[in-house]
Amino acid sequence: MRLTQSLLSSVGKMTKLYSNLPESYIKRAMEKGKVGWKTPRTVQYQPKEIKKKHYRFTMNRPWTDEFARQNQVSRKKVYVKPIPKWSYFRGDMVEVLVGKDKGKQGTVSQVIEERNWVVVEGLNAHYRLVGKTAQYPGTMIASEAPLLVDDQVALLDPADNKPCTIEWRYNESGERVRVSTRSGRIIPTPTQAEETYDYKTAATYRESERDTKEDDLTIISFKPQLSTFEMDVAESMGIELGPPPSETHWY
Amino acid sequence: MLLPIPTSLVSYAQCRALHTSASLLGKRNFRKFLLGPKAGTLAFKNERAKEVSFRKKFPDIDIPDYGTRPTGAHRLGDSTFITVPEMIPELVVPDLTDFNLKPYVSYRCPEVVQEEFTARDLFNAVYSDKITADFERGALTEGGQPREPSAEEALTPESARQRARGVHTDIWEK
Repeated sequence: MRLTQSLLSSVGKMTKLYSNLPESYIKRAMEKGKVGWKTPRTVQYQPKEIKKKHYRFTMNRPWTDEFARQNQVSRKKVYVKPIPKWSYFRGDMVEVLVGKDKGKQGTVSQVIEERNWVVVEGLNAHYRLVGKTAQYPGTMIASEAPLLVDDQVALLDPADNKPCTIEWRYNESGERVRVSTRSGRIIPTPTQAEETYDYKTAATYRESERDTKEDDLTIISFKPQLSTFEMDVAESMGIELGPPPSETHWY
Repeated sequence: MLLPIPTSLVSYAQCRALHTSASLLGKRNFRKFLLGPKAGTLAFKNERAKEVSFRKKFPDIDIPDYGTRPTGAHRLGDSTFITVPEMIPELVVPDLTDFNLKPYVSYRCPEVVQEEFTARDLFNAVYSDKITADFERGALTEGGQPREPSAEEALTPESARQRARGVHTDIWEK
């Protein structure tokens, strides 16, 4: 089942790919928290629910409880520049162009397409102490702030490892690839891009006992025979075919 | 005689000078038809019927059961319920030893695309080998019919239909 048009346009393709969840579940989980208004369940009111159509996307994924909690409060609308060809994947090497870590290069650890955000590991971070008590000074962890993909981050040209602009072009095999406009070098898609919540790569997915294996799946046990379903069942049960019943007529 | 109009029900644009209809102007109110006790499984409804809030809201209601089959009966003249084992449905499940198809499919499996198996494919599977062999040997007539028909080739539509109707049941056999 597809998400409704308004929700479908909101949740990004990269989010759905990474989550590996069915679209119906994402829609259901987004509407789960009190993100709308329900009429009171008393006699005078018809049971109606006004569902929220526009969501404010955050660092939390849309099917989480934190997202639902953040969306309970209505906030000002965020204007996001529409980017038709999304070019940033998990594991890409990028250079940060603004802020404290300007000029530094890092790996993309998270992609939030709905806000045009990319989170670079270790860069553009603020540090906070977690678990501080009277005895223990606390653990310092870096929480990276997201960077806008339009102008705060740039992919690196493989020729000289410097920021560049890219274009999507086709190579000899017909595959769509990112190409640096300056040098013409292809920027390969990182293997981390294939990662989803369930596996790092499809080939290394850890099979469980409830998964059908490839060998069992590709067996074709169907033998085409010139017999009806009833005849097949009779054959397997050992029931012999008898004489046909007498002709019946409808007058 | 002019009846007073409650302003909350009717807007001033709809207001008429003379009123010949009832005060609600023909609108029907279905808000008071409560469908609470009809939703859910029978077990759920029976559990809910024990709650105080439910009993207060629906003091004299019967829980509809929509034909769920009982697994026993009440003792005559008594309120004790006796479970009869024969009334509990027996699920006949096939033996799944050496059956390797599971509920889910591993992500490692390649995308398997199978086209629809049509009547033409069935014909090809059953008849094509013999036809090609006969053609190479020269055992086909001018019209393309086989000179030495096999069992399947000798079938006519009527005989095939009779053959299919020949399947009887062995339930009534002693």
